Amino acid sequence: MTKGKKIAMYVFLILASFISVFPLYWMVCAATNTSADVLRGRIIPGGNLLVNVKNLFAAQDIGTALGNSFKYSIVLTLISLVICSLAGYGFEIYHDKAKDAVMSVILLAMMVPFVATMIPLFQMFSKAGWLNSTIGFILPTISTPFLIMMFRQSARSFPHDIIEAARIDGLSEIRIFFQMFMPTMRSTYAAAMTITFMNAWNNYLWPKVIMTNAKSVTMPMVVANLTQGYVTDYGMLMLAVLICTLPTAIVFFCLQKSFAEGITGAVK
Amino acid sequence: MKRKLMSLLLVGAMTTAMFAGCGSSSDDAASTDNTATTNDAADASTESGSSAEGGKLTVWCWDPAFNIFSMEEAAKVYQKDHPDVDVEVIETPWEDVQTKLTTAATSGDLSSLPDILLMQDNAFQKNVISYPDAFTDLTDSGVDFSQFAAGKTAYSVVDGKNYGVPFDNGAVIACYRTDVLEQAGLTIDDFTDITWDQYIENGKKVLDATGKPLISMQAGECDLIMMMLQSAGSSLFNEDGTANIVNNDTLKVVMETYKELKDTGVLTEVNSWDEYVGSFVSGDVAGTINGCWIMASIKTAEDQNGNWAITDMPSLVGVDDATNYSNNGGSSWAVTSNCQNKDLAFDFLASTFGGSTELYDNILSCGAIATWAPAGDSDKYAEGDDFFGGDAVSAKIVDFATKVPSNITGVYYYEARDAVAVATTNVINGADIATELQTAEDTVNFNMQ
Repeated sequence: MTKGKKIAMYVFLILASFISVFPLYWMVCAATNTSADVLRGRIIPGGNLLVNVKNLFAAQDIGTALGNSFKYSIVLTLISLVICSLAGYGFEIYHDKAKDAVMSVILLAMMVPFVATMIPLFQMFSKAGWLNSTIGFILPTISTPFLIMMFRQSARSFPHDIIEAARIDGLSEIRIFFQMFMPTMRSTYAAAMTITFMNAWNNYLWPKVIMTNAKSVTMPMVVANLTQGYVTDYGMLMLAVLICTLPTAIVFFCLQKSFAEGITGAVK
Repeated sequence: MKRKLMSLLLVGAMTTAMFAGCGSSSDDAASTDNTATTNDAADASTESGSSAEGGKLTVWCWDPAFNIFSMEEAAKVYQKDHPDVDVEVIETPWEDVQTKLTTAATSGDLSSLPDILLMQDNAFQKNVISYPDAFTDLTDSGVDFSQFAAGKTAYSVVDGKNYGVPFDNGAVIACYRTDVLEQAGLTIDDFTDITWDQYIENGKKVLDATGKPLISMQAGECDLIMMMLQSAGSSLFNEDGTANIVNNDTLKVVMETYKELKDTGVLTEVNSWDEYVGSFVSGDVAGTINGCWIMASIKTAEDQNGNWAITDMPSLVGVDDATNYSNNGGSSWAVTSNCQNKDLAFDFLASTFGGSTELYDNILSCGAIATWAPAGDSDKYAEGDDFFGGDAVSAKIVDFATKVPSNITGVYYYEARDAVAVATTNVINGADIATELQTAEDTVNFNMQ
């Protein structure tokens, strides 16, 4: 690569990263400014952080919302990973014509948007008494076609020899899954976990429909609350957005390396 | 390949059948369920009818600094005489109120609704007409609707029945930076009781002297268009619900006026609501025209204290019923049919939002100005506001509100509004007004089919 080309590439990359990082920088800055300053376009950190923190905690029950968001997201992520990986593994390792047909139905379900099933779902959940509950939050997305497909793809690259060897050594099928498949597929699990956690954390439409009391609100709902009304306090709003973004950011950064590996489906 | 295609088609058909099945069964369930809820509610109200003492009301509304604050104050006022009554406010953004209401009403399971909910005035008729089972007729509830501003009450009336207790005022005010006007040799009196022609003349003077436009508006929205239209008592719909766009002469005048405002530079368009608020907070424009609730945003610019003044909006030229008064925004309280203790809800609303000057005095601090006429006579409303040069703005706004002509929103208000917004954008870019209005009306008629 010539020097000129290299410079051009770096300029482009710097520009691209600036464009993607700037909104985040602006969010952090805005969280430390007053509402009027944010509107006036101030893009350097200000001294209003503590006031915003005080206002935010006075206006909204952040503790409850954070607690709920963590509870719902973690429970959903753990259960969903077990179910979807079992399903994906089963569809690939024990596949036959019938199971392949079922798989295509599941994939077809991917094309049905959530809003189309929301009203019947609401009716079912309301009758079952699951409004305002963790089970109400997690059940509709506990098994997603996307995750099943992802685990099925990665199970494809899982060597059959290992399964055969384990069977000869007398391991039961379920133990093969838990003791051989799971540890080998760590990176796929990491990727799936990141995706599921983010989706669960950011889920807005469903919780907003079923969470009808103040004790079961989630973080995105709190952020939405703050944008309401005739006057928006932008400093406070940005602080809430920041608090809401941090957990997903942390999860992503921790699992970033495995995430990239898992998406490309590597078996080591 | 053929077999694969066939199986795919079959699977598709199966899925569709499944959903179709779901649909019809849910409809059945809905109708039976509805009757069940209404019966329950009726039972509950007869049971508790004898003793209005005690009980709990749940309320959905959305702004902690405004309507939630007001509802909590109302609870305090009511609890003085009824210590056993508990009011629980659940903070629910307006869009969510709409989503939850739609979900509950279409699924036929109204049990998730609260006793009382706050509804945007513009959406009121739409919701009552679309989901009549979800609301309670308040005509004979004991609330004296004649004491509210007529233009305001009209938003929540369907088929001559009252479904809402008016809450906050959306009377239009014109706000100006007196220090900027001064530089152009003008005062607030030059903007009081004027026409749009005079407004544009004054605007040019301000533009020459200071380089600042008089007003900013959000591009792609038509708040100002709607305010101008209502100021002459005109609506986008006729009484019978048909669209009134192409043959609406007032709308034509409004469009021409708006275009002239934009062409002369007196009005500048910005891209978002945030930019719109930013434009006057940062002093880039010399004023604004909007519902009176905009005062709260203006007041966030503390450094402009004392430099603002309020007056009525300009009137249209060449229109018979033109006035200097209009309305934008505002909301009303609705009682749902899921309310288990209707007598309590009625009594609560009648003795607070429909009967307590004390309440309206208490909530004036958060900017909630009454549409309930007796509140305007209180001493609190006559007090001057230093931010607006010591003017008694609250009393002024109550007075404006009583003069606002009423209009028709109907079921398709938002669709019509969007269509007119598109037309406005095109007209500003040079399109022909008559053609654009025809397109807008076609769009609305298409939506209504």
